[in-house]
Parts: sequence; C-alpha cells; structure tokens
Amino acid sequence: MSTQSSNPIRVALDAVRTRVGRAVAPVWRSVIDAVRPLRQRQIRRTRAVAERVPFSVGVPYLFLSPFFILFSAFLAFPILYTVFLSFHRYQGVGSATLLWIDLGPVQFELTRIAQLEFVGLQNYQRLLGDALFQNALANTTFILLVQVPLMIVLGLALALALNASWMRFKGLFRTTIALPVAANLVAYTTVFLLLLQDNGLVNSVFGMVGLPAVPWLTGGTELLPGPLKSILGPGFWPRISLVGAVTWRWTGYNMIILLAGLQSVPKQLYEAAEIDGANRWEKFRYVTLPQLRPVLLFVVVTSTIGTFRLFSEPLIISEGGATLSATRTLVVYIYNIAFQQFQLGYASAMTVVLVGIVAVLSIVQLRVGGESDA
Amino acid sequence: MRNLTRDEAVWRFVGYSFVLLVTLLMIVPIYWIVVASTLPEQVFLSGGSDLQLLPGTNFLANLDALQAREGVDFIGSIWNSVFIAVVYTLLSLVLCSMGGFAFAKYDFRFKEPIFYSILATLTLPIQLLVIPLFLLISQMGLTNSYWAIILPWAANPLGIFLMRQNMKQIPDALLESARIDGATEFQLYYRIALPTMKSSLAALAIVLFLFQWNLFLFPLVVLEQGKYTIPVAINELVGAQRVYYDQIMVAAALSIIPLFLVFLFLQRHFVSGILAGSVKE
Amino acid sequence: MARINLDTVRKEFSDDGRTIVAVEDLDLTIRDGEFLVLVGPSGCGKTTTLRSVAGLEEVTSGTITFGEADVTDLRARDRDVAMVFQNYALYPHMNVGRNIGFGLRLSTDFDSDEIDQRVQDAAEMLGIEDLLGKKPKALSGGQQQRVALGRAIVRDPEVFLMDEPLSNLDAKLRAQMRTELQELQHELDVTTVYVTHDQTEAMAMGDRIAIMDDGELQQVGTAEAVYRSPANEFVANFIGSPSINLLTATVEGDRLTGPGGFSYRLADPAPVAGYDRVRAGIRPEDMTLVEDGIEAAVTVVEQMGNENFCYMELGDVDLTARIDASLRPSPDEVVEFGFEETALYLFDPETGESLKTMTDETDVSIQDYVTQAE
Repeated sequence: MSTQSSNPIRVALDAVRTRVGRAVAPVWRSVIDAVRPLRQRQIRRTRAVAERVPFSVGVPYLFLSPFFILFSAFLAFPILYTVFLSFHRYQGVGSATLLWIDLGPVQFELTRIAQLEFVGLQNYQRLLGDALFQNALANTTFILLVQVPLMIVLGLALALALNASWMRFKGLFRTTIALPVAANLVAYTTVFLLLLQDNGLVNSVFGMVGLPAVPWLTGGTELLPGPLKSILGPGFWPRISLVGAVTWRWTGYNMIILLAGLQSVPKQLYEAAEIDGANRWEKFRYVTLPQLRPVLLFVVVTSTIGTFRLFSEPLIISEGGATLSATRTLVVYIYNIAFQQFQLGYASAMTVVLVGIVAVLSIVQLRVGGESDA
Repeated sequence: MRNLTRDEAVWRFVGYSFVLLVTLLMIVPIYWIVVASTLPEQVFLSGGSDLQLLPGTNFLANLDALQAREGVDFIGSIWNSVFIAVVYTLLSLVLCSMGGFAFAKYDFRFKEPIFYSILATLTLPIQLLVIPLFLLISQMGLTNSYWAIILPWAANPLGIFLMRQNMKQIPDALLESARIDGATEFQLYYRIALPTMKSSLAALAIVLFLFQWNLFLFPLVVLEQGKYTIPVAINELVGAQRVYYDQIMVAAALSIIPLFLVFLFLQRHFVSGILAGSVKE
Repeated sequence: MARINLDTVRKEFSDDGRTIVAVEDLDLTIRDGEFLVLVGPSGCGKTTTLRSVAGLEEVTSGTITFGEADVTDLRARDRDVAMVFQNYALYPHMNVGRNIGFGLRLSTDFDSDEIDQRVQDAAEMLGIEDLLGKKPKALSGGQQQRVALGRAIVRDPEVFLMDEPLSNLDAKLRAQMRTELQELQHELDVTTVYVTHDQTEAMAMGDRIAIMDDGELQQVGTAEAVYRSPANEFVANFIGSPSINLLTATVEGDRLTGPGGFSYRLADPAPVAGYDRVRAGIRPEDMTLVEDGIEAAVTVVEQMGNENFCYMELGDVDLTARIDASLRPSPDEVVEFGFEETALYLFDPETGESLKTMTDETDVSIQDYVTQAE
C-alpha cells in the first residue's frame, strides 16, 4: 500500500489506473478463461512437476511479435493495399490524416499514404488494350517456354551424370557448376553484356571457327532459316541472350536440387529393376522419373515463378544496348509504369494480374504434375 | 574384372564430355570478368585476332578511373551493400528464429491462422509488393536510408518457415528439463534452441544474405546517390552516356569474386540453404 | 532350373586404398532344385556371395556357372535370376499387379493377357489376389513380402535368390512364412539360395546349409551334418541354440583337465594324441545333472515351461545346460553334471578344426560332402 501522496499527477494517474483496471478486468478475465484449458493441457503435458512451472501465457506472443509486426506492416498490408490500389488512380503522396489518437502527452497520427481517386475496373480494362503490356507478356512467355525447359533438362542431365557411379571428381564438377549461384544478378548480367557485344568474346570466337557474328543484343531474325523467321518473330537474338544468361545463372541451382532428389532414390529399386530385366532407359522411366516426380515438380514450379519475377537481367541488358521491345519483361514494364510514370494504380493492377497468372500456372502445374499419389 | 562393354564406354565418354563442356561454359563468364577487369577496354573489345585472353595488370588503373567518376562512388556502394546485407541478415535471423521458435515449441491461440497466413504469402513473389512499400516508406520518411531496404523483408516468410521446421526437431524434453532447472523462456531460446540450430542458422543466413545482396528493384527506386547499393551503382555505370566496360568489369569483379570465394569455403551451407526450401515439397 | 557352381570366387572391395576381402576363394556347388541356405554372422560375406550370384556384384576373380553356361561376365538382367530383397524393393508408384508383372513385361514377349494371367496365378498361389489393385504403401509388411515373392516367382527363373526376406517381419509371421516358403519352393522346384543370419531359420529351412565366416566358407552340409559333425569350432558354436559350451582343457594321456576342477577321462584318447591342450565342447542339450559328476555352481535358472536352462559357473567358464522342467536348482547351489563321450566335441586349440565330433566320422572336409551326396 503506497503512502498517500498529495501529488496531483499521481492522484490523477491512480484514478486512471483504477478506472482502466476496472474496465479491462472482465475482458482480461475472459481471456484468461479462454486460455486456461490450453494452459492446463500444457501443464499436464509437462507432467506433474513439484515446483510451479514458470510459464506465462504471453511468452510465445512476445517471441512472435517482432516478426509479426514487421510482417503485417511490410508484407500483409502491402498485399492488401496493392489490390486496393488497383482500383484507384494515384494522384500524389498522401498527407490527409486518416487517424488521430490523442492520449494527452502522446499523440499519434496516421496519415493516408496516398491520395487516390476511385476508378473501379478502369485500370484492368486499360490492360487489355495495352500493346506494351502484351509485348511484355509475350517476352516473358517466350522466356518461360524456352528457358525453363532448357534449364531443367540441362539440370537433370547434369544431375544424372554426376550421380553415376563411374563419375569421378563429382565434388569438383558440382562446385564449379553451382558457382553461379553466388553471382550478383546485376553484376553477372554486365559480363554477359560484354561477352555478347558485336565485337565481344563470343563473336570473336565464332569468327575464329568460321561462324558468322551474331547480333546478340540488337538482332532481329538474322541468320535464322526462312520458315523459322516468322515463328520466332523479331527480337529473337536478344531474347536468346537473356535465356542464355538466366540459364547460366540458375542451372547449377536446380541441378543441386535434382541431384539431391536423385540421391534419395533407394538403390535397391534399381537393383530390383535390373533383375527384372530393365535396361538403362527402362530404369530411368520406371524408377528414376517416378521417384523424382515431386522434386521435378518443385523445380518446375519455382522456375516458373522465377521467370515471372525477372527484372534485373532484362533491365540491365536493355540499358546496355539490347532491344527494349525484346527484353521488356512484365516486371520491367511494371517498373516503368510505376516508378517512371508514377501511375501507381495502373501498375498495381498489372501486379495483381501478374500474381494471378503465376498462381493459375502454379495450380495447373501442381494439378497436372501431382496426380495419382494419394 | 569384366571389361567395359562398348555401350558403357560410349556412355561414359558422352557423360564426361558433357559435364566438362558445361563446366567450361560456367567458368567462361567468370574468367572473363577477371580478364576484362585487368585490361584496358580497347584491348578486350577489339574483336578479331588482337584479342587477348590472359589477364593483364590494369586492375588498379581501371579501379582508379572508376572511382574518379562523378556520380558513382563504387567503393562506397560496396560498403553500403555489405552493411545493409549484414544488418538485414542478423535482424532477419533474430526475427525468424524467435518466431520459428514460438511456432515450433509453443501452443497459443491463433497459432494456426497466423501460421497459415504467413505460409500463404510464400506463394507470392514478395518483391512485387514494391508499390505500396514505396508509399509506406515515403510516408515514414525513410526514403534513401538503409532502413528502407532492411526493414521490408526482414520478416521473411521462408525464413520463419524453415526455422519452425528445424526447431520442431529439438526434443521437448530438453526444454522441459531446462524449465525445471529454472530457466526463463528467453534463456531456452537463447541458450538451447539457438546453439542446436547452428547449421540451419548458417544456411538460412546465406539464403538471406544472398537475397538481400541481389535486391535491385526496390533499392533502385528508393535509394539515391551516396546510399547506392552495388546493383544500383552498376546500373548507373551501364546506363551512362559513355559506357566504360573496363570500369564496369572492375565493379562486377569486386562484387562477384569475393562471394565466389565465400561459396567455395561455405559450400556445404550454401547447398543446405538451397535444399532447405525444397525438402517440403 | 540349374545347378549353380561357384569356383574360387573372390570378391574384393577397395575402401580408400585399403582392400577388403569380402568373399575369399569360395567353392560351392548348389544342386538343381536345391534349397541352400547361406548363413553366418554379419559381415561374413553371405550377402556379397548372393549378390555375386545375382550379378549385382562383379567378382574380382573366379567363375560362376549356371548349368553349362558361364555367367560370370553377365550382368544381372542377362542372367535368368529372380531376387527377393530384404526390404522388398517394391516399385512404389505401381500397384501390386504391375509390380508383379513388371519383369515379364520387360524381359519376355508375352502379350498383356498372358501376363495378366500369370500375375493372377502367382497372386493366387500366394493368397494376395485381392490386393492386385493396391499400391505397396497401403499394404502390411507381410503382404508386401508376398508381393515381392510374387514378383520373383512369376518370372519362372532358373535361380531364386532371397536376401533375409523374413527379418523385417514380426516373430509370429516369420514362423508362418518360413513354412510357406519351404512349401512354395518344393512346389516350384527352383534352385534357391537363401541368405539369413539366423541359424534357427537356416536349420529349419535348408536342404543344405552353407556357413560362412569372415569371407570364408566354413562348411556345407545338411542340418544334421553341421550339427553333429561341425568342421570346426566356429560351426559348432554358430549352430545350436543355446550355443555349445566350450572350454580349454589340458591333455594328460587319456585325461582332460580344465577350469573349475573339470576332469574327464576319455575312453578313446586317439583324437587327442599328440596334443597337450585341446578345446572341448558339449552342447547344453547333452548335459545332464547327475550324481558323482563334475561340480559347478549355479548362477541362474531360466524356466522355459517345457524345460529349464541352467546357467553354471565352472571356474572362469560359463556353462549352460538344458535340464528337465522338474529340476530347479537354486542360485549358488553346487550341482554336478555329466555327459556322454559320444556327445563330446574336441577341437584343435590353434586352428579350431574338429578332432572329434558326434558322428563316427571325424573327417568332415567339405569336398567329401559335396561329392558324396551327388
């Protein structure tokens, strides 16, 4: 019991405390009641302990809160806000007050983060007719259809080779092939820019062996045989350059995952197949592939998602001279719209559509690839 | 010993050739960075038979030229990148390990919904949320600061997921006996859980560090001169009026080669970091 | 169906520069239609031998023939063998029917109706025809094992190989499968090689038993032969449960003296002529409690229901005797035991070779048994 003090502030605070306490008490009590069965289960689970186990209800929340606060502010909120934004037109940085809490000595002001005008589905409609968006979609799709299968087949072939019992120096090969994993995205793109210059290393080597110089960064359909010209369209060579760079960067990564998958196939299955009369191809088809299916699926899905996220490489390549219309990926375009033209609403709509496409593709892949296997 | 059948011999030949070829292709760009950063530009860009294939001695000269450029302080950007990446990794490790510990070893109301909503965000490419992030950061007055880059992804859903998976394997009995011995919950986390998780923490640290190191879009948007990270700085060099490839290669070398060396030494952790995310699926 | 001949088969593994000899100069003939059990402690080389016959391991030197054909250089799928693995190695993504029929599909020209019929027949023989549509992971251990068996028998091979197929089953199921396997083998009349580490299983199942230790073949013979006429101390010790009692005795003319006051007068001292020390063995089932026998102190008596195991100490040697259930000496009680001289085994103290065994013949070289029984 504290001694009576004539300090008015203290008196006031005491009054507030008791009043708040009386108001909060029933709430607090119901929280405790709700949690009690949980707590009892907990105590029972730690078995009858003679001493009182020092365990307070709030502890896990304490552990979780730093993460959760940042998560809500910087991840959860932006997700929701992007969708929200997509129905608006951005007009400027916000200054209008959204919320104002006055606690006497402490004031808290929550301002709107943007000034917005509601435009309904206008942004989405605009998307449908946007030629540049379609261009970005086409570029991204090209990469998806060419780069991802190429990389996965390459990664699988490498993994199979490195898994073979007769292969020596496995560790050395694995390390070297996986080395690009540590390469900074922007930095390594510059090397490719350099290599693929018209007078760069690649064309020089080509020249030495009698091949024609290829316009890697600025080419259209040169050097392609006639019938292919129209199918592969303009800007073929820059797109291929991008495919090459990304494949260089990520094949090792996928190879490591596939290799781990291969190594987890029980050796006895191969032996049983051998005894059953299976040759190399049959073993691959009936033992390796089925066992590898979940891992392969994982690699396909993550590579697909990764393709739609491509930004650094295309941006750097186009700044270094590659044809923009051939290397403009979806994220590059979103960047242009959002941060060069400041049409944040429209860019948000694009983001939503992009995420939607990725989600649909992933679901389709998971459905198709994961069938049977109850 | 049975001799190899012709079929087997052919396969081995093909296998080795293939692997050797790919290994060579992987090395070429790396080698070229070294060569190009040590030669003056005219030499490696001349094309034709003048092409030099061996490294030269121009590294420092190129570096000086790089630093002399107005508008880009590359050495400064290295410091920025390192600082940001290190602080980010530490912060994220703390947040994810504490959060993962909570999910793994405690039961609490809302545990399921919270966890599943965090899990749900795993399916999203989280760097695409830059637009609201940009607005948020501007509003908070954090533009052009280190925190603008460090904070947004510090609560990394993949990180907390991995930490939870790994921490689940800590025997409950270990924690319970520590409780009986009088340890506080935080001590359980700090003195028991964390030390047991060293290799998972290392793997996650690498994943986080690389993630942060490679961030480009958001820093590009939010940072200005003086606070540039490496990718943004290089971007400046590439988009400049006059492009000096020898300088760019010096920049690329400085940002890539050290990490390669780290990779060579910490391979095991790199690999477990790569595999960690794939095990569940 | 074939006679299998292993001639001076040697298998070496090199492990970091050191060479390990897993199978050392093995000569073994398995007769057409015979059920031969390969038994021995862990690491004795029995599994390696089995896998060499299968073709899953390449022998370092020596030859293996099936009938007239030399199969040493053939890989497993070119030999006509079928194998049941210890953990069944069923193809997880195929149902039971396809698992069983897999070998037929790969290595024969039968059309699918023919294959289905054979699968059906094999399944009925094993009582699993109801499981044909299920996947392996939905089956119990015993059912999986039958599927593995079905997969092997459906191929009607020349040689049937089994690698500890019963060791993953619980005791009751194991006993049941033991008899079923024997019946099956008799019905099919296929040359079978069966590996186990359990000597009881070996004794119960094989037409003949081949005992190996440390890469070397110790003895081949019928159960009775290896029991009554072990070639050396190792075989005598390995066969029989509880194991034979062994002690080292000094020879003085016709008297053997040993630890704890062990003293025995040989009626026929010829086997020990020239030896001053000898290893003596008596099986627990041949020991009886008598008046005026050799004194020993009882340590533990285990009551098994139909009989009792009496554990005794004789000096520094532990002995076991199987005695009638009505006799129940108490611990620390001193009892007297005795045995017939015909039941006494004598072994060379240096080489372990048998000097005297239970049968009349004391010379039990491997060659004799092979040539005799043919």
